[in-house]
Amino acid sequence: MAIKTEQVQGERWVIYIGEKFDFSLVTDFRQAYSELPASIKHIEVDLSNTQYMDSSALGMLLNMQKLLADKNLTYSITHCRAAVARILEISRFNKKFTIS
Amino acid sequence: MFRILIVDDEVINRAMLVQMLNDTGYVHCVEAEDGEKALALAEQYPPDLVLLDVVMPGMSGLDVAPKLKALSPDCYLPILFITALDDQESLVACLAAGGDDFVSKPFDRLILTAKIKAHERSRRMGLELAEKNHSLRLVQQDVERNHRIVEHIFANALDSSDTLNDYFNYYIQPETQFNGDVLLCEKSPSGGVYLFVGDFTGHGLASAIGAIPVSQAFVRMTEKGLSVSEIAIRLNRILLSFLPADMFCVAAIIEIDSSGTRFSIWNGGLPRIVLRDAMGKIQHRLDSRHMPLGVLSEKEFEHDVDIVEANEDDMLLVYTDGLMETLHPEQGLLGEEGVEQWFSEGGINSARQFVELAKVYRLGQPAKDDMTIVLFRCEPFMFDNHVARTHTALLPFELKFTLGKAHLQSQNVVDTFIQRLGHVEGLESARSELYTVVTELVNNAIDHGVLQLNSSLKKDPNAFETYYAERSARIEALEQGEVSVSMHCDPDLRLLTIKVSDSGAGYDVSQIAPSDDEDTFGRGLQLVQAICESVQVTDSGRCTVATMAF
Repeated sequence: MAIKTEQVQGERWVIYIGEKFDFSLVTDFRQAYSELPASIKHIEVDLSNTQYMDSSALGMLLNMQKLLADKNLTYSITHCRAAVARILEISRFNKKFTIS
Repeated sequence: MFRILIVDDEVINRAMLVQMLNDTGYVHCVEAEDGEKALALAEQYPPDLVLLDVVMPGMSGLDVAPKLKALSPDCYLPILFITALDDQESLVACLAAGGDDFVSKPFDRLILTAKIKAHERSRRMGLELAEKNHSLRLVQQDVERNHRIVEHIFANALDSSDTLNDYFNYYIQPETQFNGDVLLCEKSPSGGVYLFVGDFTGHGLASAIGAIPVSQAFVRMTEKGLSVSEIAIRLNRILLSFLPADMFCVAAIIEIDSSGTRFSIWNGGLPRIVLRDAMGKIQHRLDSRHMPLGVLSEKEFEHDVDIVEANEDDMLLVYTDGLMETLHPEQGLLGEEGVEQWFSEGGINSARQFVELAKVYRLGQPAKDDMTIVLFRCEPFMFDNHVARTHTALLPFELKFTLGKAHLQSQNVVDTFIQRLGHVEGLESARSELYTVVTELVNNAIDHGVLQLNSSLKKDPNAFETYYAERSARIEALEQGEVSVSMHCDPDLRLLTIKVSDSGAGYDVSQIAPSDDEDTFGRGLQLVQAICESVQVTDSGRCTVATMAF
């Protein structure tokens, strides 16, 4: 499975992405946040396993925020490897996500 | 068994003594009629007690006593002189010769057995002690041997790397004295460096032993280029299962990027990590935000990482609590503030200076705790193994392929191919970037060239969905179209030139640049431009040539 999700301490929703984060995941990624429990306040996208990423992944991340805009959630992208962090940095994603 | 040696020249005396001893249960008696025989017998059948006549032909009792004593050097051997003498001088001479007591003639059974019993107790205690000493010596030898083995393993497992020596100024206690501090340094696949500074609870071998699984796992994880927080999670897991509950490891895990100015830091219990600029001003203070490794369960464990941006020639200081716990007899602990003051105002440039200052501060007293100090002056890492490996592993190559209608319709063909190409030895360090650049260029060629999708869709509120729905529809309906990719690799210049052209009608490049940060698509070319050395779009948008360094 390229995407896994987990609810942590009631209010955090973690989406784990596999080795590749690109357009092939568009449906899976969409599903990963389509039915959020009401208690969720924060979405974390865990990229610890992700080595390959392209701009459609960036689009998917922003699209998630747009679709969930009325829920008042906070967002973070975590465990980025250097190459992935660089892509996020080039695209100034730190403005919209907490990145670590 | 308790063996008694009876030495007397008179048969009758010996017979009486043997009889009395047998009657009271001492059945192991050995008899000798003179000193020489006594010594020979004692060597063959070591006695536990000796009844020794003073006046005998040949060697006297006084001559024999010290020789008998010498035969039992490790354990108390009671010697009771048999004597009819009662003048003070003779008795003193007996004691001086090594005698422990007297049995006077004629023999009194009660007194004789009472005395023997008393000395038997001492002898037995002596024997027990000798045995315990012996096993202690064995244990000690065992410990020493184990120490030597572990020292050997340590020397191999924690071999200080060239990277550490080339780029870091550090101090750590010599390896031969086991200590709970660990300093590890490994190159990252993307040309930077990972650093681990740890301090296990306690001192000595027990605390040092945790260093081995940590260092082994650290090497494996850094080879794979895992993120700092992932490394923290995994090390925590290892130590949680490995260490007893009262042991843990205070540590900082740091990744420094290839420019030497960007740090990802996880600090679990180490003293504040400090960054100083070239003027000596403190620019960042990174207090520990986490519990040490090996304490919290996986669920509770916090892996948030701090990102620090620095400038070249800034200096990073990481140290274990041994330094800040440096004690002045009157002024007290040095503390984090004291360390920072030395670092900032004292213009310290080497770990050794800290060690010297700390020694002066302690007024020469020995340090109480292990101390590790690491300094890094921000500068790009220039690992030349790239070049060395290039000549042996990576050939200059040209690669061309053309994607027809069927390939364009099946999504993963190019992705998977490029992913594999990235694992060619010599290209690994750039595999992520290579993937991004090629897939972006190919997708641009498909979207804007072959499919003629246009960016006006962006203004739509459901832009992302609409765009990709439209894309899928057009791909499915595609009747003809081609995208050609050619790659040229120059291992000497370490440059990859990637050319992508399509059969489309061309498009206006300026039209696809994203207008703001909100747009959900259209940032591909921007990414490529940031990653590559140069990007040129020609033939009215039908051909793009990008050159990237690796």
